[in-house]
Amino acid sequence: MGETYSKVGIISCSGEEIPEGTIARQAVRRVLEALRPQDTVTLCLPLFLAGEEGERRFAREHPTITVDGCLKLCAKQGTEKYSGKVNTSLVVSDILGDSAKGCCRSTRHTNQANDKAVWLVAERIASEVDALARSVRVEPGNASAEDGACCACSKPSQGGKLEINGTAVTISGLPLIFDHLKKKGLQPGSGSGDTLLQNVKVYHAIEPEQEAAYRNALASAYQTYCGQTSQCDLGG
Amino acid sequence: MADHRQAKKTLVIPCSGVGKVHGLISREAVYHVTDKLLPGNADTACLALLVTGDDETKRKVQQTPCVTVDGCPKLCAFKNVELSGGKVAKGIRVYDVMKRHRGANFGTATALSDEGWTVVEELAAEAAQVARQAD
Repeated sequence: MGETYSKVGIISCSGEEIPEGTIARQAVRRVLEALRPQDTVTLCLPLFLAGEEGERRFAREHPTITVDGCLKLCAKQGTEKYSGKVNTSLVVSDILGDSAKGCCRSTRHTNQANDKAVWLVAERIASEVDALARSVRVEPGNASAEDGACCACSKPSQGGKLEINGTAVTISGLPLIFDHLKKKGLQPGSGSGDTLLQNVKVYHAIEPEQEAAYRNALASAYQTYCGQTSQCDLGG
Repeated sequence: MADHRQAKKTLVIPCSGVGKVHGLISREAVYHVTDKLLPGNADTACLALLVTGDDETKRKVQQTPCVTVDGCPKLCAFKNVELSGGKVAKGIRVYDVMKRHRGANFGTATALSDEGWTVVEELAAEAAQVARQAD
């Protein structure tokens, strides 16, 4: 028996161009939701490039199964390029053969062929999860999502707190917004308020009469954020 | 009826996020554009192929105006197209349309509700409008 892991990671290709991509995605969802919910976790493949070190640790922290729609093996190659070696590589077209031909890309027009294909692939993934769990010792339900790398869109964005007119308000994703704007070169100070407000309004409803209070609170919080992160930068 | 009178070939690329309903909405919005609104004048590309550096997909993205549709603040579609040397005519965020339907149940990452499909159609209309204007 090898090391102990919290969960098996499953990464699907996105496969937008072909029905097999949709089947890969749907089958992974079925394993996560219904077949092995306690034992599995996922990550969006494009996050390896768009994300940061946390996302890139994924395959180093989880024994990983990749599910590709076609023989280009994007999920396998992308995972191995940016994260770590995968334990099992599955290919939808290998599993289904010609029976994928009757399937559609959109779930809006899903048909019997799609349903059958998704079940077949999902059951194959589940059996590979079981095999992997036996070989590397996966302890189900032993870890929360926060214990390791997992999909950014599977968990709430880290929030940031502001005080608006005496009331504490949590804004989902505020540290991400600050980080993004800092990287774009936004300087802290009262001049940053308008830009901060425009960006935060995308993700958080703000009544017009509260905009001034938000503008000031955001500028102040951003100044604090930049001061803290600059110290971290200097600290290496 | 599909309207592709003014459209030139545009790539519409979703993030296809697998963790939440937002990713499925982005993906379905793209299919609504390519299959219903602008068939023959809009196409999509596998984002995963772009991530792995596939030359043909990179070329396609570099030579064609792109519209990206992203489900979460990580903006995977937008960033990966830009990193590949592509030009994003517009980066659309699913949340911007969802917030017009505050409080609605949009479905799950596996299946959309009627309200989820409404968001899909609104996003697709926005993407198609950009595609019609893109060179």
